[in-house]
Amino acid sequence: MEEDELIKRAKEGDLDCFNQLVERYQREVYNLSLRMLGNASAAEDASQDTFLSAFRGIGKFRGGSFRAWLYRIAANACRDQLRSLRRRPATSIDSLPLELEADQPSPEDFAMRRELGEEIKRALAALPPDQRLAVILRDIEGLDYREIAQVTGSSLGTVKSRINRGRARLRHHLEQRRELFP
Amino acid sequence: MFKRKSECQRVQGMLSPYIDGQLGPSDREGMESHLEGCQACRRELESLRATVNLLHRVTMVSPPRSFAIAKAAPKPLPAAVWSFGVLRVATAVAALLLVFVFAGDATHLFKGGLIEERTAQQGTLMDGEDGEVSDTGGVPAEGEEHVWPVSELELALLGVVVVLGGATVVLWQRRRRGGEGALKS
Ligand SMILES: [Zn+2]
Repeated sequence: MEEDELIKRAKEGDLDCFNQLVERYQREVYNLSLRMLGNASAAEDASQDTFLSAFRGIGKFRGGSFRAWLYRIAANACRDQLRSLRRRPATSIDSLPLELEADQPSPEDFAMRRELGEEIKRALAALPPDQRLAVILRDIEGLDYREIAQVTGSSLGTVKSRINRGRARLRHHLEQRRELFP
Repeated sequence: MFKRKSECQRVQGMLSPYIDGQLGPSDREGMESHLEGCQACRRELESLRATVNLLHRVTMVSPPRSFAIAKAAPKPLPAAVWSFGVLRVATAVAALLLVFVFAGDATHLFKGGLIEERTAQQGTLMDGEDGEVSDTGGVPAEGEEHVWPVSELELALLGVVVVLGGATVVLWQRRRRGGEGALKS
């Protein structure tokens, strides 16, 4: 079924149609949450909250990009989770590794790649949440600037500057571990 | 020398939008001609590109479970949502009307009414002030002028506001509780 049709029926209260939308987007929403939070169980909670809020609020969806609308809800759910994670910092970053695809031209060994993943995780966690969200949406989830502006409810200029500053900080953080780059 | 340094700063501030193809043609050309002659900025660009490429290689993880919503969760119930909205608006309209009638009463716009009755007993009525409200056109004859049932209207409106407002609050509470229950399950 087309996405528009699924949304229309979900708005009428058809749970099966809504769950088909969940099937389509849960991987993206979960990964966005995981990279935002650096914590698998918090990401699971944020994802579930996202789809529950989306189901309850789908009547308010007025067309446009459904994905951007959903990501916006997910970003809010992540903000709530971040708040509760801050209250128990010990559990904040978990041990679930951040995996990288093997680099074809200069394959690092497995241990090196794992370490690099850990470093990226730490570097992301060190970013202010606004910059982290913008960089994740752009460079990990592959959204364009306009979509990111929709998700974050900010102007293109703000998006540009958040991506710019976020990447610069990430680069600075990763350069401290220059030996990890082949 | 100073000029060169500030030019490098400007270029390095635009590396990120440059990588994403977000620069206008004139900015892009200016940038490319600077990059050709400046090794420091070229190195910055390569370093930033390496970071971005690293992020591109972050793999997607499969979610540990499905986030499909169980049948037990509260449905959005379009009818309930609709009636909630209408109730809220109706309450607001009734409350506004009440305020309007009270205000009219207090400024002696009508003959009669909760406030007017009391003041009428104290002194004489000013004639001619009810011209706008009276639908008989001319000035009514003294003694048998048209009296608006203002106090009844006020009491009725008050009742409507209380009932509508009560129903709105009850619906709102139920929706809130339903939402919390769904999050826990
Ligand atoms: Zn330069």
